[in-house]
Amino acid sequence: MGLTWRPDRAYLTGLAVAGTRKPVSTRAMHTLPLAQRDDLGNGYYVLWFDSPAPVAASAGQFTMVRSAEWGVAPLLPRPMSLLSGGSRPSMLIKVVGEGTRRMAEDPMGQPYNLLAPLGHAWTPLPEGHRPVLVAGGVGVAPLVYLAEELSAAPDALAPISLYGGRTTRDLPLAERLEACGELAVTTEDGSRGRAGRVTLLLDELLAKAAGSGDKLAVYTCGPHGMMRAVAERAEAAGVWCRASLEAPMGCGYGVCLGCPVAKRDGSYFYTCVDGPCVDAKQVDWTKEVF
Amino acid sequence: MTDAVDMRVSIGALELKNPVLTASGTFGYGLEYDDFFDVAVLGGICTKGLSLEPRHGNAPARITETSGGMLNAIGLANVGVEAFCTDKLPKLRERGVTVVPNIFATSVEDFVSLAERLDGEEGVAALELNVSCPNVDHGGLEFGCDPVAAARVTAAVRAATRLPVWVKMSPEAGDLAGVARACESEGADALTAINTIRGLAIDIHSHRGKIANRTGGLSGPALKPIALRMVWELSRAVKIPIIGIGGVSTWQDAVEYLLAGASAVQVGTASFVDPRAAKHILDGLASYCSQRGTTPEQLTGAMI
Repeated sequence: MGLTWRPDRAYLTGLAVAGTRKPVSTRAMHTLPLAQRDDLGNGYYVLWFDSPAPVAASAGQFTMVRSAEWGVAPLLPRPMSLLSGGSRPSMLIKVVGEGTRRMAEDPMGQPYNLLAPLGHAWTPLPEGHRPVLVAGGVGVAPLVYLAEELSAAPDALAPISLYGGRTTRDLPLAERLEACGELAVTTEDGSRGRAGRVTLLLDELLAKAAGSGDKLAVYTCGPHGMMRAVAERAEAAGVWCRASLEAPMGCGYGVCLGCPVAKRDGSYFYTCVDGPCVDAKQVDWTKEVF
Repeated sequence: MTDAVDMRVSIGALELKNPVLTASGTFGYGLEYDDFFDVAVLGGICTKGLSLEPRHGNAPARITETSGGMLNAIGLANVGVEAFCTDKLPKLRERGVTVVPNIFATSVEDFVSLAERLDGEEGVAALELNVSCPNVDHGGLEFGCDPVAAARVTAAVRAATRLPVWVKMSPEAGDLAGVARACESEGADALTAINTIRGLAIDIHSHRGKIANRTGGLSGPALKPIALRMVWELSRAVKIPIIGIGGVSTWQDAVEYLLAGASAVQVGTASFVDPRAAKHILDGLASYCSQRGTTPEQLTGAMI
């Protein structure tokens, strides 16, 4: 586990607290050398890039990423949530296909094109609310970024993170969530934390908050089915909830129209420009994504 | 030292700043690029296909990557011609962008209504007729694959507008030259060639099509040799200008299209890979022309 922890947090460039949100930053193509790759095991890696011109990102935003040396295959850049911005932009990847396989193997120093920052960041934490971050597998990335933004903010309550994975090897970056507040995990095989799905932790937390009157703000990112379950529970409990959507993308900036996610009003979110972070109540979770 | 080159090209009576345009469906409405480059430097932009009414488009998944290319079945999601004229066109005009609305309809009458609506607007350089969309149930390929139907649409739109009329060719027409000649004889000012070719990709785990529509249009570098051949054939079949499209990703690709007989090119999928692609292709082409002491117009059809 080559995870590198940066305690100075100099790469945090935004604060996700109401009233302190930065103006929307300019999107740009950054051609950056691959500076570092941390192997987290089981096909998970964190890629770090050196960026002389800081990437002015906030938690929840993403990048379209592709090596400048890939030629015409794989052709399209890959959408990846940013794990950090600034002068050390980074992302968490899981090897699932040819593009991510190359990202896991390309030599250090190889130039990559990062179109960033893209999309809508997480909505700032409503005042007086306790942030609850519900993560599934590789979907943890924008929530780690958020947890670190929140813990760097002077007035925000420390986040409670609920993190589910298939096995103990599918909980990358759990220690970074833990460093920012409370962390509880589930695994489907019971190899770490509670056995079962992450929603069982959420159910308990929602019940507790209903009793105590604590106001919760749920942020979630993970597989579609998990986010659907989280969104339904939050809505039933009348709890504020934001989700970071995932979809295949061609461009990442609103022109290819390849990343629709069904809305309840019958139209579509385009994940890249209307999301990825959206109000979970507006999503028609019953529709298939892709 | 590229400023000495005369990059202007004539597409019929219409003069463009240069021969590099962007392809419909890959460049939004041209207003999405403010962070990346000044779109007004291009020869022109072809908008996302516009219909009389707004369309939500197909259910996901709409796109999938294939080797050296991609399949798409977007289903002509667009804001509709009214919203385009009200919200998009004034901004494009302000920026000095050469705008070619791409229009789509399921009947000849609706094509005419679209042409009449846009004819009344300032700042429209030409109309591109989409008679070749492979991803909608009606009004796509059935116009573009039949010389008689293509001629009927062309004639009706020609009569309804003072604007130059470009017809976007389907590679799936059995008699491509026949469709092209029919459009030419009914007054088309130029032909855009080619639209995507239908392809298929299947997920071997779920055994389902990788896009919801099952088939989708193939675009990107994988399409280029076929498209280039068709442009070459078309340029010998008609006298009106051809605007080449299909996998143009580099300035070298643009040079090839000109040599094959195109008077201009459209950059498509390459804009997804890098939003500045069209600008890079324009710069590279200008530099090539400068170094060889030639112009785009001299390159057109210069293949030996």
